[in-house]
Amino acid sequence: MTVPTDQHKELKKDVTFRIFRFNPQVDSKPYFDDYTIPVERGITVLRSLNYIKEHIDASISFRAFCQAGICGSCGMRINSLSQLACTTQVWDVLSKSKEHGVIKVEPLRNLPLIKDLIVDMDPLVGKMKHYSNWVDSTMPEASMGKKEFLISEQEFLRYDKATDCILCASCVSECSILRVNKEYVSPAVLLKSFRMNVDSRDAIHEQRLAELVKDHGVWDCTHCYRCQETCVKSIPIMDAIHGIREDAIESRGMKDTSGSKHAEAFMSDIEKKGKLVEATLPIRTNGVLWTLQNLLPMAVKMIIKRRTPPPPPLVKSAKGIKIFREMFREMTEHVKQDHKSHKK
Amino acid sequence: MRFERMKPFDIVIVGGGGAGLYAAMEAMKTNPSLNIAVLSKVYPNRSHTSAAQGGANAALANKAKDDTVEMHIFDTIKGSDYLADQDAVDVLCSEAPKIIRELDNIGTPWSRMDDNTIAQRPFGGAGRPRCCYCSDKTGHTILQTLYEQCLKKGVIFFNEYFALSLSVKGSRSRGLIAMNMKSGKVEAFPAKTVIFATGGYAKMYWNRSSNAAGNTGDGQAIAYRAGIPMKDMEFVQFHPTGLRKSGLLVTEGARGEGGYLINRDGERFMARYAKEKMELGPRDLVSRSLETEILEGRGFDSPAGKYLHLDLTHLGADLIKSRLPQIREMSMQFEGIDPIVEPIPVRPTAHYSMGGIDTDNFTRTVMEGVYAAGECGCVSVHGANRLGGNSLLDILVFGRIAGHTAAQEAGKFEPGTISEAELTAQYDDIRSFMHSSGHYERYGELREELGQTLGTNVGIFREASLLKKGIQDVAELKERFKKVRVFDTSDVFNTNLMQVLELRNMLDLAETVATGAYAREESRGSHTRTDFPVRDDAKWHKHTLSTQVNGRVALGEKPVTMGRYELQERTY
Repeated sequence: MTVPTDQHKELKKDVTFRIFRFNPQVDSKPYFDDYTIPVERGITVLRSLNYIKEHIDASISFRAFCQAGICGSCGMRINSLSQLACTTQVWDVLSKSKEHGVIKVEPLRNLPLIKDLIVDMDPLVGKMKHYSNWVDSTMPEASMGKKEFLISEQEFLRYDKATDCILCASCVSECSILRVNKEYVSPAVLLKSFRMNVDSRDAIHEQRLAELVKDHGVWDCTHCYRCQETCVKSIPIMDAIHGIREDAIESRGMKDTSGSKHAEAFMSDIEKKGKLVEATLPIRTNGVLWTLQNLLPMAVKMIIKRRTPPPPPLVKSAKGIKIFREMFREMTEHVKQDHKSHKK
Repeated sequence: MRFERMKPFDIVIVGGGGAGLYAAMEAMKTNPSLNIAVLSKVYPNRSHTSAAQGGANAALANKAKDDTVEMHIFDTIKGSDYLADQDAVDVLCSEAPKIIRELDNIGTPWSRMDDNTIAQRPFGGAGRPRCCYCSDKTGHTILQTLYEQCLKKGVIFFNEYFALSLSVKGSRSRGLIAMNMKSGKVEAFPAKTVIFATGGYAKMYWNRSSNAAGNTGDGQAIAYRAGIPMKDMEFVQFHPTGLRKSGLLVTEGARGEGGYLINRDGERFMARYAKEKMELGPRDLVSRSLETEILEGRGFDSPAGKYLHLDLTHLGADLIKSRLPQIREMSMQFEGIDPIVEPIPVRPTAHYSMGGIDTDNFTRTVMEGVYAAGECGCVSVHGANRLGGNSLLDILVFGRIAGHTAAQEAGKFEPGTISEAELTAQYDDIRSFMHSSGHYERYGELREELGQTLGTNVGIFREASLLKKGIQDVAELKERFKKVRVFDTSDVFNTNLMQVLELRNMLDLAETVATGAYAREESRGSHTRTDFPVRDDAKWHKHTLSTQVNGRVALGEKPVTMGRYELQERTY
């Protein structure tokens, strides 16, 4: 392979790749190795890694397959952002480097590390299975192949974008919930779940939804939007997550998890007072017992430091609450109408 | 422990792309009590099936109401330059509507027409618009759907396992030996039946190939070394416009929208070769034209190789942004060039392997209990030239047949036992590359040189003296390969070792490609001999078989099965 040299000599720069190294057989902890190579314009990070592997250090391990941005193998963190090495231009990331001329390459986060830039994808596959990320067809197997389903362009468009997902796990790596809870469903799995749920050929929508609303499920997302910002295929993942939540509220009501109860408590406070009644929020979200067990020590500290929120009777309605309630009622009505037209 | 032993399987499928996954799904459907394993060197959803953009042909007659299976059959036979077996093409095209509907029934997101049926579009060499698609990501969505269904059915996957060899006793196989990439252990998979579905071998052209890095013909090479014949290996399809640096494809759409092909003199050179159709001539003709320009010194120079320009700048920013966004994105991602302001550097690129493991219409090979399907096998339905939209169809139809046949026949065989000695031999073999004494060659250089010599001597234009040179070069590279060094000595995820083993597979198969091309003294489909420029039906209307005998290629032949269609000159 000929990474450097072209007829245009000026279009070449020395670039240092600072690569995360870890071999579980010999290393007790990870470290970084620096490799400096000349890189011309138009070269991707993957081609540079290939060059380093072939010419300098054959022991660097990373995954790569299609080299064209469709297989999703080469997801890694380049200058601290999860992306595909094969579609990332060296010169582009170089302009955003913290240290001049240095590109830092690390494995994806939130998945178990195997070696160097390779992480274990099995947990993600396990979650796809757990949340039934497949169409369970309404058609019996014996009848298949004879007739096609009739599907409107409108329905196709509802899941079209979601089927762009190549499971590269960039969103998994950037997810802020997964950093603290590895059991969390994961943005990619929520996206796939949504895609299955809106497919009229699927027969297990209720069953999948029932699993999604449990602990570690759809209500755990904190709307940080990092998954959507990092998605290499620019898929609006948050739309899918909101889609599942709206669906859950509509078909199951607000009873499932602390997440949905929390959302309900928020809504009712806002509607009544135009602001939060913080003192009772934990009780309404998680129940009295949980609150006493988990928050009593904190409550005591808050009382000592005189930082307690005002008790509910003292929370006065916000200014202009009457006008606000009117607006709130109108918006709720709007959302309901929207849902109805969607369903059609 | 260096070894691991699996309990015996009824079916072991090697490869998790479209053919392998369809085989697994169909086998479980045929007999749910069977014990089935799928081995893949990547996670199945990474397989190269995902790169197929165009679609799959089927005479559903959703778009053109007068389309028929018969017309699809004729187009395919004519496209193959009459080298396809007509009974096999019959199976391919007759099964097509059923398979497309079945994929729809299990959730494939096909694009739709106004009447809510599956959408179809025109494709090269087809008399009617019969290519079913999902935007420009058809292969990707089919692969995802099949993987999802396999997860649903509980197929047992061995992901990131690299297949090493077949264990053979007499005329039948006892199972497969593979390396677990995560542990480096050599593992035995005793099995009643083995299905190879490992994809094509066009990556042997390396930087002059549109293929994934792993399309190294692993299944074919394993079968070849086990004494199973390869068929029609000399037929490799070239696509006219690959990107200069990577060989990745710039789809035909760029020329369809009005892009020009320009040489270093600023000429629209296609005027010389196809006055009327210009840039939109048939694929093989355009590839030959680009190659001629380069050979005659009218290409641009760069150390990465000679190239020509695909110029879109005159189309304007609006059109490029609205109709060719993917091509613009690709040019920027892979060449660092914006086609709105600069022409795209291109050259022809090896794209598809028509040849493969010789099978019958039920995907059986000559070895009992061993089957092959998809680009890995050769039934043959593509003959000397494959039509666009028939490759996805091939992997689906024959993947399904392979799964069904193996499931029905598994009961006939006993799983053999794979001996400790065999595993030790495999382990010692792969570890031998790590010895420092006498091992100094770098695999990257050999791989690069292999691609160079194949591209130059066994490329688009072939000729006796070039092919001789090609055969000689490959032989020398095989000698040098014995001294290749694996520098990474670790067991865990040793990609250095894997790439060396892939190179070995490519070298073995390259010998069959070059030898077959040298022997075939005619021009047919993708195989163009400048010293034998016409099709010679009297001497060469037959398949080539390559078998390994004492470590060398022995050529044989097999008649082409004819049917309703007589030999005709192929004109468009």
